Order: sequence, then structure tokens, then C-alpha cells
Amino acid sequence: MANPLLDQQRSLLAHLTSGAAIFGKPRAPVDPALAGIDPGLLHLEARFSHEKRMEKIAGVFSRTLACLGGERASLERAFAEACPPAAIGRLENARQFHDFLLIHWLREPPRPSYLPDLAACEFAFAEARRHGDEGEADDRTAIIKSCSAKPHAIRRRPGVVLRRCGFDIRALFETGVMEPPPAKRDVALAIATPPGAAEPGVFELENAVFELLAALDDWTGRRAFGETPEAQALIADLATHGLLEFRA
Amino acid sequence: MTQVGEIIGLAYRSAIAEWTCANLKHFDVLEITVDHCIHGSAAQRAEIFDLVGRIPLNAHGVGLSIGTDVALDLAYLDQVAAIVERLEAPAYSEHLAFTRVPGRDLANLLPLPKTEAVAESIVAKVRTVQCRIPVPFLLENITYMFEWPDSKLSDAEFLNLICRETGAGLLLDIENVYLNSQNHGFDPRVFLDDLSPGLVREVHMAGGITVRDSEVGRSILADSHSHPVPEAALDLLDYALDRHRPQSLIVERDDRLDEGDEILADVARIRARLDARRAAHGKPALGSAA
Repeated sequence: MANPLLDQQRSLLAHLTSGAAIFGKPRAPVDPALAGIDPGLLHLEARFSHEKRMEKIAGVFSRTLACLGGERASLERAFAEACPPAAIGRLENARQFHDFLLIHWLREPPRPSYLPDLAACEFAFAEARRHGDEGEADDRTAIIKSCSAKPHAIRRRPGVVLRRCGFDIRALFETGVMEPPPAKRDVALAIATPPGAAEPGVFELENAVFELLAALDDWTGRRAFGETPEAQALIADLATHGLLEFRA
Repeated sequence: MTQVGEIIGLAYRSAIAEWTCANLKHFDVLEITVDHCIHGSAAQRAEIFDLVGRIPLNAHGVGLSIGTDVALDLAYLDQVAAIVERLEAPAYSEHLAFTRVPGRDLANLLPLPKTEAVAESIVAKVRTVQCRIPVPFLLENITYMFEWPDSKLSDAEFLNLICRETGAGLLLDIENVYLNSQNHGFDPRVFLDDLSPGLVREVHMAGGITVRDSEVGRSILADSHSHPVPEAALDLLDYALDRHRPQSLIVERDDRLDEGDEILADVARIRARLDARRAAHGKPALGSAA
């Protein structure tokens, strides 16, 4: 069934999210469905909306964007043209931008070469921040207590993000300084908000621990880890860093 | 600072959460954007919900897109309902606008063609909102860069029609009226005169910027919520309060948030205007509908 208003609205959004409207000549011709609307004003609307979207993305990828240097403007334009906004949220727009960068770096080698690791970890920080420890402060106390009381099941805490990187980029987050460039070294990282912390942190994990956490998507019986003091100490340590949670 | 019948507050922003809490005594109410609860970080949500009981909270939305000509997102409305309940908010407000179509979300408020047919479709959606969220629903007038050529009704006629049919109230954004009047060349006082009596329940005040875009060919006022409330908007507030009696007034600021003194000065300037009105008329300018 024809829906003229929705068709008008689709045409408008297609135009306002197009590279032509955002960056192009403001007097460029527009969809006939938008006839009678000043193209210059549509250009302003498109530009303002794009700038607001990029502010959200820059809030997640501040370091990555800074590293893009002179390539940033052309990449932002290519992103706008390839990936119209599909959602209002910061994380959703950041995910679109990250996916776009990954595809771009398949065609054009990233410079500096640690950029994919940096972008992946910045996005992981945003994901971890989204989950944080909302509503779980009291539960976490219970979780730690129940850990000592030998709870029945364990899983990776929701909001813990695991990343394997080819560069040790932790210093970029710990110091906030981009120099010296990170050393090339395979690292297994967890990004998570430790108990009582307001912001996520990045932790290096041994490979075996990384694999263990990666496998703990669902509740798993505690007995599967054995009763050795080493296993109990490891579990307690992971819980202290907010990487595991327990169920009685 | 609270005066009987005069409720003036600030639109809460997480970026200045600490500053806001330190200056809570200057505000009678905070307006919470429900979408910040939905999309914000866990820490931001916790900071917001921690305000419950410390200061009255109004609930405001930006993500409903009530004007998109598809069915409302009921899951979103249920999220809003839960947040409104948790905030103990007395009302929930949204913009009379659309921001998205299936597959694309501009996240920016866009105008609707102002016709009776469009108003009818909005009326049905407002009723859905009212069924889903058990507090009064308010629609906010937006600022718009352009108008649809097929609009047949004035801004006031469009709002009056929808609100009359649904019982929804109006969140009157004075800055938006001012910007629209400047950008589109109409008398803002006529808009305020034409609004039905008793419609205005809340007010927004803000300050924007002038954009000089040579390609557009003229200066445009933009609703950036970045600068002090202009005197012209305060004068328009005075004019509005001669005709309408909102229950609360919120100052909005989204940019240059580190200029806290400007925000407090805006609140003080508005209070001074209301105090002057109280002295002149012998009753508060804000409060329950007379």
C-alpha cells in the first residue's frame, strides 16, 4: 500500500545522510520528493547531523582519529558515504565506524601499523563502559563472598571484552601519551571495569587464562576447575579484577 | 532557592554530573533525558538514578521519533516507561518530530508536514504513548531548518489540534520559537497568542549560535544549546507567561558545558524575570494551571 508520508521521509533521510548533501554543493539537485525545499538548508541540516554523529564517534575513537592525521578527513567522508547512520546511540555508530575501518585496512595498510589494535581496544573500552558495574555493586559483594563460600557456577562477567593484539598498546591507555609507539608483541588483553572503579582498565592475560575466559560465556560448574589451591587462587584473582562472576 | 510555585531547573548532562551535584541548591528540578539512561554507560545510568529522592526529576525523550510514519517502537516505550517510573517523574515529554525511518537514524529532529492527515496519525500514536506510560505526556515544539511545502497548518494549529484530540500538554521551547521566527520570518508572539489556553505545561530555555553559511546566502540561527539565553528569548518568555502558566522551566545546555557560571547566570536571570512578574502580579509566574 502506498505510504506517501513515509516515502517522503525516506527520501529526506536518504538525502540528508548522503555524501552529496553533507559535503557536496549545497545547490546540487535533490530527490524530486523534496522539491520545494531549499537545498542549501538541507545541506546545513545534513552537515549539522553528520557533525553530531562524528562527535559521538570521536568520543569513542579519540586516539585512533588523532593517529589518522591527514587521512582523517577523507576517511570520514568515505565513511559517511558508505555507512549511513542506522541508530542513535554512540556505541552503535562507533561499531559502524570500526567495521568501516577494518574493511578499509584490508585494502590500505594502516599507518601506523598498530592502529587496528588501538581502534579495537578503544571500541572495547566503550563496550566495557556501557556495561560497567551497573546495579551490581551489592551483588558483587555477594559474589566475592560467595566465591569464598565455594559457589557452584562461574562465568565471564558481562562487559568483559577480550582482545588479542599484535602490539602492546596498554601504555597508550595507561599513560594517555601516544609516544613512544607501542612495541610489537602479541598480547592477550581483557578490558573490564574492576570492582569499585568508575572506568574500565586494560589487563594483560596469560594465553591459557585468556582462553579460559573466552570459553566462559555461560555458567559453568565450579568443579570443572578442580579444587587445587592454585585454581582457587586464580579464580579469586580474576574475580578481584572483575573478570569473573559467581552463582551459588 | 525553591519558591512556592516557581520550579526552575536544568537539563541534566552526564558530562557535568559532578558540577550539577555540587550546584544542586540552585535548581528546583533536573530534567533527565531517558535516552541517556538507555544508551549511556553504566556509570552514567547509576549517577542519574542516584539523583532520585535528592531532587525532583522530569523525564524527557529524544528517541521516540513519533512522527515517523510507521508503528511506534513499543519495546522502546516500555523501556521509557520503566525509566519514568524509576525516576518518579511527574510527566514524560517528547518532540513533535521524526528522526528516523527504517534502516536510517539521523538522530536529529526533523519537521513534519503540518497537515490534518499527519496530525491524525500523530494523535493515534500519542494515544499509544498515553496507554503505555502512566504519566501525562507532553509534546515539544522543535526548531526546524526547513519546512515541507505541503504544510497547510500553522505551527500553533498543528500543536493545538494534536493536543486537543489527545489531552497531551505542550513543552514549550521558547528558544525554538525564537529561532524559527528569526529563520522563517514570522512573529513569535502570534504563535504564542494562537496556542490554546492551558496547553503549556513546561518550558525549555536555551541559547544558540548564528551560522553564517555563504552557500545558504543568509545567516541562520542554530539551536546549539551552547550559549547564554538571549535577552530576546527572555522577553519572549515574559510574553508567553502573560498567556500561559507552565509548571516548570528547564534551562538546556549541551555545549560549552565547562561554562558553569553561564548556566547559573541563566537560571538567575530567569528567576529575576519571574520574581519581577511575581512582584508585579502578586502571584508566581509558574505553577498549576489557573
